[in-house]
Amino acid sequence: HQSTLRPNHEVSPVTTKPVPELSLSSLIDMGFTDTQAEQIFESVSSVRGGSAAKHILSTLTVLFVLGLNPSSVQKLLEKCPELYTVKEAQLQQRISNLRKLGLVEGSLQRMVAHYPKILTVPVKTVKNVVTFLKERCLFTSQQASDILRDSPAVVLENLDQLEYKFQYVYFRMGVKQTEMVKFRLFRFPLDEVRCRHIFLERRGFYQTPDKKGQTTIVNPKLDSILNTDLDTFLTHVAQATAEEYDVFQKLLAREWKEEELQQGKIEAD
Amino acid sequence: EKWAATHAKHPPTRLALHHFDATYSVQLGKLWPSVRVAMLSERKYGALLNNFCHDAVLVDLQAKGCRDFITNREEDGQCVFPVFTVNHYLSCHPNIKCLVFPRGDVTRFKPARPDAYGLLSYYLMDAASVLPCLALDVQEGHNVLDLCAAPGGKTLSLLQSQTISKWFLCVNDTSVSRTMRLRKVLHSYVPKQFLTDEKLRITSFDVQVLVDVPCTTDRHSLMEDDNNIFNKIRVGERRRLPQLQLELLLAGIEAACPGGEILYSTCTLSQNQNQGVVEQAICLARENHGIQLEAVSLRPLTQMFRNTFHFAPDLHLGEMVIPHLAANFGPIYMCKLKRLT
Ligand SMILES: C[S@@+](CC[C@H](N)C(=O)[O-])C[C@H]1O[C@@H](n2cnc3c(N)ncnc32)[C@H](O)[C@@H]1O
Repeated sequence: HQSTLRPNHEVSPVTTKPVPELSLSSLIDMGFTDTQAEQIFESVSSVRGGSAAKHILSTLTVLFVLGLNPSSVQKLLEKCPELYTVKEAQLQQRISNLRKLGLVEGSLQRMVAHYPKILTVPVKTVKNVVTFLKERCLFTSQQASDILRDSPAVVLENLDQLEYKFQYVYFRMGVKQTEMVKFRLFRFPLDEVRCRHIFLERRGFYQTPDKKGQTTIVNPKLDSILNTDLDTFLTHVAQATAEEYDVFQKLLAREWKEEELQQGKIEAD
Repeated sequence: EKWAATHAKHPPTRLALHHFDATYSVQLGKLWPSVRVAMLSERKYGALLNNFCHDAVLVDLQAKGCRDFITNREEDGQCVFPVFTVNHYLSCHPNIKCLVFPRGDVTRFKPARPDAYGLLSYYLMDAASVLPCLALDVQEGHNVLDLCAAPGGKTLSLLQSQTISKWFLCVNDTSVSRTMRLRKVLHSYVPKQFLTDEKLRITSFDVQVLVDVPCTTDRHSLMEDDNNIFNKIRVGERRRLPQLQLELLLAGIEAACPGGEILYSTCTLSQNQNQGVVEQAICLARENHGIQLEAVSLRPLTQMFRNTFHFAPDLHLGEMVIPHLAANFGPIYMCKLKRLT
């Protein structure tokens, strides 16, 4: 099946045995520059077990067929050498799964170039995360695919952690799914989100909405909490000094550590 | 669900926060957010060194990075007050040492350990609580009345000056359980020979009076639901606080003789419990008792210690240490009055 996507004959004649030799010249023939070819050649040889050499040509072909140019292919392989060892069929499945999940052409290529690791993740894992986002966090399919596109690293996050992050932002900060997607919540580490939020809360600038969704002050938008550099966040949102935030981070880290210890004690009892 | 479940309906700490938001945002204006986050985060302590203890812990503590904020104060060159005023304050308390970790440092002190005689090496307290004791300005031959003494942090600070053999200290508190704590504190820090009736007793001609009144203890009220004065069942008690504070201050004023000085202090930011009470006391003392009082400036003191504490700017009466994350001491309000007649 899927024979159309196999390495094409001019580039590397496909015979099942013996494994085709990977040579510098074959790489150059594929469109890599001398330097790129050398770099690829070197990194393939450094991957242990010899399986890399076996899959390299098919991997390259799949990436070309996806529409990536030699230069971005070389860069993403450098970022993620694990790709050398992934079987062709698996790559195909993973890519078509991403298409099925709603990643359109263009986005798909950008995502792979930016986060090649996505192709090392089993289809099942990706599906689980998407199902989780839809069923446990009530994101729509479109939102789930937007999350995948903007923050592909979610696929490797622990689902408990992910749930905690969602619940924190949903219940404690009172932020709805639309905004979480729009402002790319899942790109940010939970601790950073929590730290900025609690800082604002203790300064009196953030309130958890009540049951009717109301607050007595206007909360700052998620955007201005997440997508601002520290200086802007401090001067415009928190109206605080860097010294204050610095001490606050230290104190909060200690509070969390002690809460965890406390939690551990309660669970052990 | 996970988050909703953890919210009790109206815990006293929450009520306290609402109350403070309403009053202090007006009173402190732009400073309030910084004070608020500081009070809701871990406070800082000072270690009051116990001069009666035989273990030399000063060097150890200094090696850990602490410094005695009383001797390491603002350079005299930067001080706008004449050196003699500065020396005057400190000459009275040559031995009070209170160690703190530097600004921004959040290291904690270990609990103090007893020496061979069972006396503890230091007492952990809000470093700003030492200020009222310094401000009290006790000198040789003075009698001191500590009107609300328990659990005894300030009593202990006063005892450290070791002019103790030359003045009398009288401590007082209405709460039986807190007086027991005071006794325990004194016995853990002070050798028996200094705790005789001759040194510590009630006298009727006190010169210096410390009136460290019960108040809304803002920090405690924000952080602990237990024994919280914002608990709904204690509304009456809370409302009556300014009246009680006024009565205590007036009692202190009456106990001082003409020429004597009274130091009023609280650990709240509340104007009603601070300046409000002092103003009324000055007024009532004149009207009902014919006593003339004069407020004594504590500006030299705040100048000396402005590198350790944040002081509220421009109070028209008294001085106040306000909490700040980098120097998370206070709140402590203090106001000094001199009895003219
Ligand atoms: C702020 S605390 C004093 C803290 C103490 N000065 C220290 O530094 O450790 C106030 C004290 O006033 C006491 N108190 C309350 N009503 C009083 C009264 N009518 N007369 C004397 N003391 C009273 C309380 O029991 C409480 O111990």
